[in-house]
Amino acid sequence: MRSTTFNSFLLLLICFTFSGCLRLDENLFNQQKLTEYKLDNYTGETDFTLDYLYQIPDSLVHIFQLASQAPGEPAATAIYAIYIGNISRISTDTVIMYCHGNRDHMDFYWQRAKLLANTGTKNRFGVLMIDYRGYGMSEGKPTEAGIYADVDAALNWLKNKGLSGDRLVMYGFSLGSAPATKLTAEPRSLTPSKLMLEAPFANAETMVQDASGLAMPSQFFTDLSINNAVEIRSVQQPFFWIHGEADDFLNISTHGQMVYDNYSGSYREAHRIPGAGHSTIPATFGFASYSNAVLSFITRH
Amino acid sequence: MQKPLTILLSLFLLASCSPTRFVKPLAKKEHAANLSFGGPLIKFGTATIPIPFVTVNYGYGIDSTLTGFASFNITSALYGNFQAELGATKQWTKQHAYLPALGTTLQLNAIYRNTEAKKLYPQLDLHAYWEYGKRKNYFYIGASNWFELSKTRTLGVSQDKHWILMPMAGHSFNGKKWNVNIEAKIMAPNLSNEKLVVDYQTPLRNRGAFGVYIGYTRKF
Repeated sequence: MRSTTFNSFLLLLICFTFSGCLRLDENLFNQQKLTEYKLDNYTGETDFTLDYLYQIPDSLVHIFQLASQAPGEPAATAIYAIYIGNISRISTDTVIMYCHGNRDHMDFYWQRAKLLANTGTKNRFGVLMIDYRGYGMSEGKPTEAGIYADVDAALNWLKNKGLSGDRLVMYGFSLGSAPATKLTAEPRSLTPSKLMLEAPFANAETMVQDASGLAMPSQFFTDLSINNAVEIRSVQQPFFWIHGEADDFLNISTHGQMVYDNYSGSYREAHRIPGAGHSTIPATFGFASYSNAVLSFITRH
Repeated sequence: MQKPLTILLSLFLLASCSPTRFVKPLAKKEHAANLSFGGPLIKFGTATIPIPFVTVNYGYGIDSTLTGFASFNITSALYGNFQAELGATKQWTKQHAYLPALGTTLQLNAIYRNTEAKKLYPQLDLHAYWEYGKRKNYFYIGASNWFELSKTRTLGVSQDKHWILMPMAGHSFNGKKWNVNIEAKIMAPNLSNEKLVVDYQTPLRNRGAFGVYIGYTRKF
């Protein structure tokens, strides 16, 4: 009996060991949960806080839910979105689709969205931001396909409100560079007219190889196939890249520069910000300088 | 894209996931089975912890100065990778008073997931040990050397690091049929650990990574 039990345990252990069921994919996403969005009243950590000049009137802040369904999923996932601007004017406004990073949720990135909305003049642009599935108050668990579906659900909402692709600017920060690049290279609901990437990553392989110092395949740890450095080759729209030279998380040379170098579309511009880290580009560059650079690119014909 | 992923991304350091297999060779025709635990130290939240790599190892005394061994990485297997080592430890000189015994270990580290994801890393260890006392416990120092054979990395970028140096020091507490081994290892102290996704914790601050390991060996 004891021997049978031991053998069964051993067999189970061997089966488990060789099943290779663990992957890092899900753990790559931070998934900070919220029970409500506080926006300006959020007291948690943020990268920076803007002064009252960047205040958005309550009438221009809209929090709502979207239904997102990735290909092959049996049901839709409810995700949360914030639109900054006048919804009734989406059919004539220029709108920035802001794809936030992995660090946190929309409360954390609220200051960044406000900064973009106030680029140029007060409330100049409409800004749409979402919490990917699993982030903030959005339901579900994040997946690569799910994040693309979530951003596309947001674009579909904009399309239904009258936005056309020629007035859509796609902006991706860090992790957000993946859906921004993907849905610009391979449009679904709308074809963005411009692509802006802040501190993008090249691909999972670069992360692995930077961290190990070895030419090690990322498949040893993750099935994520996000590859901005390859995806960018299909982007023909004008491209804006901004990256901190002191980025200690996604190295400017191995990540951002690689994405920039692989772009072969109609127009590109690079902003390498001395002294800026991964999360400090707007603050280090200066909010005014950052806004001017963004405005200049968006309004460029 | 910040922190919780750091602990898991640290698994990237498979290269340094185990202590030195055999510093002192086994007796001729002696067998040994070993279980070891530990890995590079990383910051996880407010704590500093070792990555929990678990490896099993079997050794055989080919003669009194040469031990062959094979190892299997359990943690790596949990991630669907077959990772194994095959090697031999040769002792070249005996200890004379304060002059240590000197030896080398040559081993091959193979990692295989599929036909697209497979790697082979040669490793050469140099070590010196000093036995003392009735139980013949011993203290050792040495250096592991990993060699990256690939000339290019992802996206066609040139792979400019081909040698990973890992100085180490350890101690073995011996019983009649067992020993417990602790080891500390500094991985790649010549390379910067800045501007990486992983928050390695090391006394060298912005250089390399620091690993700690504990192992139990049963001889038979």
